[in-house]
Amino acid sequence: MRIVSIAAAALLAGLMTGLSGGALAQERTVKISGFGAKSGVVRVFGVNSEAAMKAAAEEINKAGGVTLGDGTKAKFSVAFLDDRCNAEEGISVIRRIASTDAFVAVGPTCSNVAESLFGILQKKAGDASDSGLQFPVFADVAAKGGLAAISEWAFRNVPSELEMYKSLFAWLKREHPNLKTIYGGVEKDFAHSNATYGVMKKQAEENGFQVLGTGEWLLNDTTFSTQVREMRRANPEIVAISAHPFTTCGVLREMDRQGVKPKLLIGLTSSSSIETLQGCAKQAEGIIIPTSFAPVTPEAKAAAENVSKQGGSMDLHSAAAYEIMFILKDVIESQKIMAKPDTVQADRNKMRQGLAALKETKGLLGTVGRTNDREAIKPYLYVHAKDGSWQVLHKPSS
Amino acid sequence: MDLLDLFDAVQSVADGLLFGSTYALLGIGFTLIFGVMHKINLSYAAASIGAAYGSLLLLSGFTAPAIIVFMAAALCGGVIGALVYFIGFKFIPVANPLATLMSTVGLLLLIDEIIVHTTEGVPLAYPALYSDVVVRLGPFMLRGDLMFVFLLGCACMVLFLLLLYRTRLGIATRAVSQQPIASQLCGISILQVNVLTFVVTGMLGGIAGAMSGAAIGMLSPLLAQPLTVKGLIVTVIGGLGSIPGAIIAGLIVGGLESLFQFLRGVTERDLYIMMLLFAFLVFRPGGIFAKAAGRD
Repeated sequence: MRIVSIAAAALLAGLMTGLSGGALAQERTVKISGFGAKSGVVRVFGVNSEAAMKAAAEEINKAGGVTLGDGTKAKFSVAFLDDRCNAEEGISVIRRIASTDAFVAVGPTCSNVAESLFGILQKKAGDASDSGLQFPVFADVAAKGGLAAISEWAFRNVPSELEMYKSLFAWLKREHPNLKTIYGGVEKDFAHSNATYGVMKKQAEENGFQVLGTGEWLLNDTTFSTQVREMRRANPEIVAISAHPFTTCGVLREMDRQGVKPKLLIGLTSSSSIETLQGCAKQAEGIIIPTSFAPVTPEAKAAAENVSKQGGSMDLHSAAAYEIMFILKDVIESQKIMAKPDTVQADRNKMRQGLAALKETKGLLGTVGRTNDREAIKPYLYVHAKDGSWQVLHKPSS
Repeated sequence: MDLLDLFDAVQSVADGLLFGSTYALLGIGFTLIFGVMHKINLSYAAASIGAAYGSLLLLSGFTAPAIIVFMAAALCGGVIGALVYFIGFKFIPVANPLATLMSTVGLLLLIDEIIVHTTEGVPLAYPALYSDVVVRLGPFMLRGDLMFVFLLGCACMVLFLLLLYRTRLGIATRAVSQQPIASQLCGISILQVNVLTFVVTGMLGGIAGAMSGAAIGMLSPLLAQPLTVKGLIVTVIGGLGSIPGAIIAGLIVGGLESLFQFLRGVTERDLYIMMLLFAFLVFRPGGIFAKAAGRD
């Protein structure tokens, strides 16, 4: 009797183990690795990207998860690594991610990191003579124009600042034909600000505005009196500032002190954030910024709430990370990615091919076009600071 | 250079001199710790900014007037100063000056990262007094908030000199600085003097951090690194250990920085300040007020 009991217990235990193993097999997990700046002064970008990726993953998981190539369902999990906005750290992080079973990574935050790490990827897919890393990287934040052209393994879901400012200056010319002069301001030592100022200046000139001069300062400057005095002497009708919130606010405060009151203010895409309003809502009143995210659709509103629950805030950068998770889900399903340890390189190839084949994706503000050089053409709108919040000023597509 | 340019150059120097008072306050802190302990505390500027952040944290539940926020910054500065002493100096062997230098570099990074992780690196608005006041003197304009910073800085410097030369703590501090063993034999507690020095310089640093925040109107972790560099330059130009030197050097660096920015632009500005630093190191290593014997 005792032997029978032991045998029955062993059988039961075996059955339970088998059952739980089966259950586990049915609930597989696909880890998506994100990376970006989670330390230093740009930490907020990493925090927001991570929160956006987690919010999107939660939403996907609630809806049943992702279907893998063998028909099993898997849940997304997100791991986010810190590259400290440093090129060497970024390369080290991507090598670490590529040494795991991961078949794609989402990041980075900073353009200088993206530029360097895209450089270590294989330039042309399938080129046997190129020993570069064969690993797809999908950038959410790094904003400098044209970065994905560096490698066929590099993809971006970043708005085109060229398109946004081109459209903005054309709109300004139409809406304010009496405004003729413009004065620029740029954070000279920050790649994104500097590159975008080049775009702003070119578009202003192409639309017939006369650029009276440019004030330059550095990312961690504390006084702006000299630059603003020169601006005051130029007496421009429009002031365009290509800088991040800390120095944008410093310049706007100094303009306020020196009585520089242009008829229009234009800002950098990254400054359409809560930081600018926290730092200088009064002085920033009226500043116009093109952005690829504003909570204007039901999906965008819900996404912003979900990201907030994850401890981040939704802006044009984190919105890109949020959208990327849904794009990855679609590509995993369409390319029948297996997500198994023995199919890692095949999955990476499928992911690259899937991403490269995309002609359009679904974005929070509408359909996002994809270019042949793996960039995004995102819908955008113009927001302005009004009564301490960002409000939609104009939707170019409408 | 036409008359308008000349006015702008004078205005730039005036703005720089006023802002330079915050450099002077930081320079005093650097120099006093060096004067007493013969060691450089590289975390001083970061601790000062940390103290200014601390004041916002301390008063986050209230709408406190700016002056209360500044006092809270001084208080936080004192606490952080004591912590810096116990973490970065107390248990590090005295005989190895490089070890304390490295420990303060570590503290600089640690304080900076604590600020970044607490605030996510987001700049925070900092209150200022007289920010709406602008004094116009003909073609020139003086910012009320910077004038307040300058006057408060001057008051702190006077108070500090009085503390150092007219109180028992000051006498003890100078005694420990000059003859540590003899001071001990006279019954002065070196530990007590060191802690008090860090607390007092920390309070001064807290005020300097608050004044920097008030002058800019915002606090950002971005401030720690440039203020550390400026504080060190001021300390070297003023002469390590010289309080009057730190005051004058702070104003000089502030004024010249602004003038070079006006004359040569932002990309060259710091180059000239660094050249000034090298010139002092080579030709006047003892600083502005160095005695003849200290010069080459």
